[in-house]
Amino acid sequence: MTFLIPKAVSRRSVLRGAIGGTTVGVALPFLDAFLNDNGTALAATGAPLPLRFGTWYWGLGHTPGHAITPKTRTSAGIDFLEECKALKPHEQYLNYFGGFNMPLDGRSNYTHFSGWVASRTGSAPSSNSEIPAPTLDLLVADQIAKNTRFQTLDVTAAGIARENYSARSTNSRAAAEASPEKLYQRIFGFEFADPNKADFKPDTRMVVRKSVLSGIGEERRTLFRKLGSSDRARLDEYFTSIRQLENQLDVQLQKPAPNQACAIPVSPRRDGPEQNMPQGLEVDTVIANHRMMAQMVAMAVACNQTKVFNVVFSDNFSHMRRPGQTYTHHLLTHEETQDKELGYQPVAFWFNCRTMEGLATFIDAFKNIREGSGTLLDNMLVFAATETNYARVHSLDGVPVFTIGRAGGRIKTGLHVVGNGDPITRVGLTAMQVMGVPIDSWGTQSLRTSKTITEILA
Amino acid sequence: MHRGFASLLLSLSLLVLAACGGRAPKTSGAEPGARLLTEPQYRSIIADVFGLQITIGGTFDPLVRTNGLLTVGASLARVTPAGFEQFDRMARSIAAQVTDPAHRDYLIGCAPQDVARPDDRCAEQFLGRVGRFLFRRPLEREELATRVAEARRAAVELGGFYDGLAASLGGMLVSPSFLFVIDVVEPDPDARGSMRLDAYSKASRLSFFLWGTAPDEELLRAAAQGELHDRRGLERQAERLLAAPRMEAGLRAFFDDMMAFEDIARIEKDSIIYPAFSAAVASDAREQTLRTIMRVVLEENGDYRDIFTTRKTYVSGALGRIYHVPVDRPDGGWTPYEFPEHDPRAGIVTHVSFTALHSHAGRSSPTLRGRALRELLLCQKVPDPPGNVDFSKFNDPHSPARTARERLSVHALQPACAGCHKITDPVGLGMEHIDGAGQLRTAESGVAIDARGSLDGIEFADVGGIGPAMHDNPAAPACLVDRMYAYATARPTQRNERKYVKYLEREFARDDYRVPALLHKIAISDALYAVRPPVEPSPAFARNTP
Amino acid sequence: MRGAFCWAILLPCATVATAAPRTLGFVITTWNIAAYETRFADECPLGLNPGYDELWWRGLSKPDRAKFTDNGLKSRLERYFVAIRRGPNGEDVCMNPTSVKDPPLMLVEGEKSYGMDLDGKDGVATGKSCPHQEFTGLDGTPGVDNQLYRLLGCVYGFRSYGQFEANENENRKSNGKGMTLIEVTGVDDVRNDPDVRVTIYRAVDQYTLDGSGRFLPYGSYRIDVADGKPRYSSTLRGKIVDGVLTTEPGDVNLPFYGNYTYMNRFLRDLRFRIKLADDAASAEGMAAGYLGVDQLMFYVGGLGPIQSSAPANCPSIHVAAYEVADGHPDPKTGRCTTLSSAYNFKAVAAFIVHGESQRYADGWFDRVRRFISDLRASN
Repeated sequence: MTFLIPKAVSRRSVLRGAIGGTTVGVALPFLDAFLNDNGTALAATGAPLPLRFGTWYWGLGHTPGHAITPKTRTSAGIDFLEECKALKPHEQYLNYFGGFNMPLDGRSNYTHFSGWVASRTGSAPSSNSEIPAPTLDLLVADQIAKNTRFQTLDVTAAGIARENYSARSTNSRAAAEASPEKLYQRIFGFEFADPNKADFKPDTRMVVRKSVLSGIGEERRTLFRKLGSSDRARLDEYFTSIRQLENQLDVQLQKPAPNQACAIPVSPRRDGPEQNMPQGLEVDTVIANHRMMAQMVAMAVACNQTKVFNVVFSDNFSHMRRPGQTYTHHLLTHEETQDKELGYQPVAFWFNCRTMEGLATFIDAFKNIREGSGTLLDNMLVFAATETNYARVHSLDGVPVFTIGRAGGRIKTGLHVVGNGDPITRVGLTAMQVMGVPIDSWGTQSLRTSKTITEILA
Repeated sequence: MHRGFASLLLSLSLLVLAACGGRAPKTSGAEPGARLLTEPQYRSIIADVFGLQITIGGTFDPLVRTNGLLTVGASLARVTPAGFEQFDRMARSIAAQVTDPAHRDYLIGCAPQDVARPDDRCAEQFLGRVGRFLFRRPLEREELATRVAEARRAAVELGGFYDGLAASLGGMLVSPSFLFVIDVVEPDPDARGSMRLDAYSKASRLSFFLWGTAPDEELLRAAAQGELHDRRGLERQAERLLAAPRMEAGLRAFFDDMMAFEDIARIEKDSIIYPAFSAAVASDAREQTLRTIMRVVLEENGDYRDIFTTRKTYVSGALGRIYHVPVDRPDGGWTPYEFPEHDPRAGIVTHVSFTALHSHAGRSSPTLRGRALRELLLCQKVPDPPGNVDFSKFNDPHSPARTARERLSVHALQPACAGCHKITDPVGLGMEHIDGAGQLRTAESGVAIDARGSLDGIEFADVGGIGPAMHDNPAAPACLVDRMYAYATARPTQRNERKYVKYLEREFARDDYRVPALLHKIAISDALYAVRPPVEPSPAFARNTP
Repeated sequence: MRGAFCWAILLPCATVATAAPRTLGFVITTWNIAAYETRFADECPLGLNPGYDELWWRGLSKPDRAKFTDNGLKSRLERYFVAIRRGPNGEDVCMNPTSVKDPPLMLVEGEKSYGMDLDGKDGVATGKSCPHQEFTGLDGTPGVDNQLYRLLGCVYGFRSYGQFEANENENRKSNGKGMTLIEVTGVDDVRNDPDVRVTIYRAVDQYTLDGSGRFLPYGSYRIDVADGKPRYSSTLRGKIVDGVLTTEPGDVNLPFYGNYTYMNRFLRDLRFRIKLADDAASAEGMAAGYLGVDQLMFYVGGLGPIQSSAPANCPSIHVAAYEVADGHPDPKTGRCTTLSSAYNFKAVAAFIVHGESQRYADGWFDRVRRFISDLRASN
């Protein structure tokens, strides 16, 4: 039945596609011809290789004493213990930040929530849903991602689309892509312009779309006359989003610069209704999805589709579980008995180890893509953090943070940075400054800081 | 399902006669607003306008549950770039489907002279007709001309009439006039100096409230002819909507939101621990509860509180295996089922849709259940857990805790925990005879479960006592009224409306807790349409506005 | 306030004094011949029997071997319809088992077997039986009768690693055909009840399985009905002692489907011994009774193609079956016509749906017939 015609229309279900393997194969041809002699800039324009920023989120912190040996002073060398041993081969791309705190100024610690909000927005929330300020990835995106196809690319391997730790405000939080198939379609589907294709013809459809979108922009003024001030602000964000899409179309109407680091990965082959199915929180599913998604995001970065991304490995209440176990990762951290000999909760620890292996996989995905004389990691900075230090007691002091990548040579790596109880916002402030955000301080109340971590600056 | 509508209408007319009982407190409403369409509303409109065969694929940005409802959260929602990209993608896909050869002949209603060239006449006819449903008002002349020009330009660029039409239709589907339900106000001729909603805004409010979708042809006609500003005209339309079969879909959408069913399809249970639980169980569980509620409140026009105690329900093959009850049609379809007297399961709180939704993947959770019961069904706020709990007590290796009660009893010893767990656990522990998948049990880890519970002073021996305790809890019907009113206005309830909501609560009780009577009362109230004049923008803001 | 409560009809509920007799329902999930197999087939000292393909092969000249097998390229499965027609006039030896004279079947020679004592005698011929050798039960029970095992225990295709029974169970699981329901009525106490009734029905609904293909309890199954009456409904009298249900013997018609064959499995003097799980959600049991040789041979004869990959040889089985038959002598010839047999089976709890819903189970043909009879009645 439709309002347009009075007759009933029979519903026809559309079934298509077959379930196949779900692997992503990445081929990596590389030619230096497009770069200058040092391999640090594009030969054609002389422009430096672009800088990219990302975040990587994992839930439920570390097992203190079994992850990284604490230090008393910032110095080179990170002592990876059992839980983090998978990161050892990546030490030259990592910095570890330990001993930074999250003072909440008397506000409640909304468990598993305050922690990530504070470290990413610089402000402590005053309810269990409030996001008081934009997250740092968006501040960076505003600075560096104006002219990319996707302002940010948000993905989650944990299957829960709304658990995206990137938001402009409480009510402005994008859903993360939870399906590897849909992520592939979004990035490498028919709208993807292959930079290495010899012939480029601007797609007339995009010209038309752009004109339609600018038509909508015209509605702004008439609309605003009708609304109260708070709604005007909300609508303004909507119009900003339209402009972002217009920018995106502008970019796609230009011939992309040839980019030999960019090789379209093979699609994870699962079509039809399959791709709408729950992605699953069994730990092996999470790990498999994360690997696929990390590879796709890395290639999206290499192909200049985005300069900012947010990857979630596990959510803040990590619902990951093992088949047949009544306890999820989160429940384990609270209810599993501590092993007297080992000194930790063995199964929760097992999950933490899988998580750090996940981080290593993520780093590999970028490291495997060569760019210039090095790898993608040389030209990016990833802020990898969690919401608590020790999930068992929800502690917010000493919440572990890693940075990954060398940010185009702007920072030193392989360091263990000691916070001595300084606010954790120092890490975010430094990261944003490195990425070129023009700020000299960040955060509110006790989380406010203007102290850049100069030890890591190159 | 609609046998009850005749009696419903009868009771409505009686109600109108009896309405002189108490006077409704005056309200002044809120500033005119712009509410983003919720996902169910978006889907309903597309299905209503273009038919169910048009598929919608896309992810909607998450909404923040406000006043207990996502629908209210939509009044505060913002559109992120990624969210807009999704809207744009959906719009283009819908427009392409509507204009494709399989659908164009019956959906577009006219044909171009030449498919390779623009055709303003046909474009205008189609865009005007569709635009009226999508924007929920007729398009202004200039507005329509712009759309037609867009279609023409695109048709030339892309070399085809239908491609041009699709481009213009796609634009309409991402227009704020479609994506946002915008309150338009005008001076109120009956009250000097104050404002009122214009007729089309009233029509939208009424239609989204009762039907969960945009106004239909008849309602738009009534709006155009000014009938909605007339009390009798408004009543006529409200009663038409209430008596229509579509009403059920509207009421389902409300309960879907109130029961937080948006996540139910995503429930994941461990297949080793709960082999009988499947995706079919999850989706059937939602349907079971909605059917049960509809039977009580619509079909029988019964007492709302009976949804907590009714033994009558419906089961599918998949649910039969969870409930351990026989079904007539194991190969599909629904069987009416009545739990016998000695069975503790009665009422929606004992349904899989509640017990399994508010549990973990491999175990039940008295705390989650208690919290959901209080927050969703009693409109009470349960404080968040404190951050500084010492969990070492919970992990005592010598602790024999094998049941949830034993595990949770430790919380009572912790002052930081005891406060909140006292609110959630006594009632949640009373549901422990139902496991994390919604199945009955008597033991956990080989230990008999002590399933005593209590809710606000009423004690009961097992889950069979929850229904009566909910039924007699004055917060339950009051909560429905609060939610219903917030859902109707689709924005947070204002301070100036509190008295009115209290009045509605009293009226609901006087009407023997009949939901159709409540819907009717709200639908024809002044309060639903009340609006305050918009605050003028600050000078700074005006400067920034181009 | 309720003290103890009692819910599903399948759960013990002793606390409710006034409870009416209840009904237990089960659907059989797997069903196998109760065959005692040792690791190295010691019960078959002469080895396992050759299949018809082997016998055909042995009888061919070298040039014929090359000719019939495309120089050895054809597998057994591909050449089965040549091999099976090895009768002197090209007869199918499974359809015409007497057309050839094959070596005698090697029988089970072991002393132990699963099963029950069906004749209450020591293998001595009576008016109701023929002389036969009896087995000793695994638990030492003397006088166990299981001539079906004696007959088929050394036939590869019928052994547990052969294909026939695995196929039967798998066919039923995937097709939902020939499924057996067991309904126990008049149950006052599921642990101990001196008098209950056990009725066998055929189900028309498919098994309910979980995501990994395991059988789920508490599915609902409608019974197969024709002309308003259940197509299968044999009833036996029984009792429950400490959770073990045993029945008196009686003739029972069991539904059967497997290996592309539908048939009635008519078992005479059949008795059940069923151990109910504590929660009555599942059951395991043994059924023992007499199986007609004709029925067996009808089934074995139809297995030709499958016997090519799971060796068996119809003519040898046919001859031996009559030789070892131990029950129900033909009054005219005195020759026994049935084989004592025993079966192990597993079952899960099920709701057996009677009444109104049965009409859905009618096939198209039933509906047409009823329509016509209704039409006649109205005239």
